[in-house]
Amino acid sequence: MSSEDLVGETESPPPIHKPFFSRPGGKIFIIWLCMTAVGVVIGVFVPKQIMPNMLSTEGHTATVTIVLFTVLAAPVAALVYAVGLYSLLAWRHRGPRDEPPPDGPPVRGNGPLTVVWLVVSTLLCLVLLVWGLAQFTAEQTPHSNELQVDVTGQQWLWTFSYPGTGVNSRTLVLPVDRPVQFNVTSEDVTHGFWVPNLGVQIDANPGEITVVRATPDKVGSFVVRCSQLCGLYHAFMWTSGAVVTSANFSQWLESQGASPATAKQVAFVTP
Amino acid sequence: MPDSTGQADQPKETKELSTSEEPSGSRWGAFGFLLTLVVALVVFVGVGFFFWSQTYKSPVGTEVAQNVGMATVNGVTMPHVTLYFNTYPDSAGSVNGVAIHPGGNPTWPAYGPTNEFQVPAHALVTVYVRQYDSGGSLNDPWFATVRGTVGGVEIVNGKAVRSLNPNDIAHTFTLRGAPGVDPNFFVNVPLPLAVTNNNEDYGPYCESAQYLAESSSVRQGNPCYNTVEFSFVSGSKGVYAWNCEYPCGTSVVGFGGPMSTFGYMSGFLHVV
Repeated sequence: MSSEDLVGETESPPPIHKPFFSRPGGKIFIIWLCMTAVGVVIGVFVPKQIMPNMLSTEGHTATVTIVLFTVLAAPVAALVYAVGLYSLLAWRHRGPRDEPPPDGPPVRGNGPLTVVWLVVSTLLCLVLLVWGLAQFTAEQTPHSNELQVDVTGQQWLWTFSYPGTGVNSRTLVLPVDRPVQFNVTSEDVTHGFWVPNLGVQIDANPGEITVVRATPDKVGSFVVRCSQLCGLYHAFMWTSGAVVTSANFSQWLESQGASPATAKQVAFVTP
Repeated sequence: MPDSTGQADQPKETKELSTSEEPSGSRWGAFGFLLTLVVALVVFVGVGFFFWSQTYKSPVGTEVAQNVGMATVNGVTMPHVTLYFNTYPDSAGSVNGVAIHPGGNPTWPAYGPTNEFQVPAHALVTVYVRQYDSGGSLNDPWFATVRGTVGGVEIVNGKAVRSLNPNDIAHTFTLRGAPGVDPNFFVNVPLPLAVTNNNEDYGPYCESAQYLAESSSVRQGNPCYNTVEFSFVSGSKGVYAWNCEYPCGTSVVGFGGPMSTFGYMSGFLHVV
């Protein structure tokens, strides 16, 4: 072999067609696929394990929302992690420490790729926006014959009054399958009315009434917490509550001082 | 081939430099990694120790309830214990030579002689209070009603009452279950103000012999005191928080200063 042949081979090497999965793009795709699968599995199964036992339609919606958003976010997050992981492992600096590697060639002009990520990102954002607005609107829409509950936060206690019954309690008791409107305020500083099991959380501001709604659909017990750091005993600002049947709700109202007629009238209203 | 100028030796020198620096760099890398771990561990332990050291402990110790025998409540026989505490307008004062609150602020009220109490679980606890302070209106009249005591009453100057005038309150003793411990446990006892002598329903208790035994700093500006007695059945073992719900502190809503500082108008009930 002459020296000219050697020079010719060096200057114009024959094109090498590696299989897709042997190239960096293919390897990143495999990593992305695996990570997406893991993310989807996590999104489908983990939220239901770590979310509280939901007792209202709003709570169930919150769980579905978290599952949906996690599943939709999984491929996006996986792409970032896959590129990052592959770059760290395959393209890490291997030369002497005092010789930094040269910059790679700039990536420009890949029109199809740009269109794909813009369209996909836009679609994903639109899905999140439409879903979120739909759920928000549904929760804000008043129902007929809602049970009114006035919620008052004060350092460091919650009290609940049921207008028209004369009942003012430290415990929140609600009838099942009856929409509830919470009218929330504070006697002193800002508190946060938070019932994880009902999917309800809203600030309690002094001098203002904020409104949040829920429809308990399952009998069970729950805890009311404060979600705003409100002072010395913020950690102790919690109380218990329960979703009960209409009959038990009527009995409870009576035990708290409501007249039997009022208790029945309030408890057995048909939505 | 090496020539006379020695240029052919240059690559060799470069290689030697390279091989001599790599192990040094690796050593520094390993050292940095270990140092990071050690620093992280020290910070983690330090933060934990800081929070542990900030756990409130009363400077005058815990009052352990006195056992006075057995009692029957709603057909259930249980130990009967007693607690004693007072409410003072001047936390810098003293009672019988004992400081109400060591280093206390003279303009801040305080419970005394301590705000840490210990009672047995599932026992009848009878509490005796002397209330020396002035007062006014509650932020929320809900706390003017006695809640969670045996019979739903408190005994003010010898008279059983279920509620007080929400505009004549000095302090409240409001005790609640802690997270994870007896969620429904709740006791609220309003304590009537003691400055005025013209309240006919539960007028201040002017028992001269006992009153004069108190220090002048306590008596100054507070001619008399009210006696309050109430009983409740303690819950399960755990730490319960209590506080005053009358706005006797500083700031707009009266919940600053002594209301937001451990050792004055709040404390803990240790149920053992």
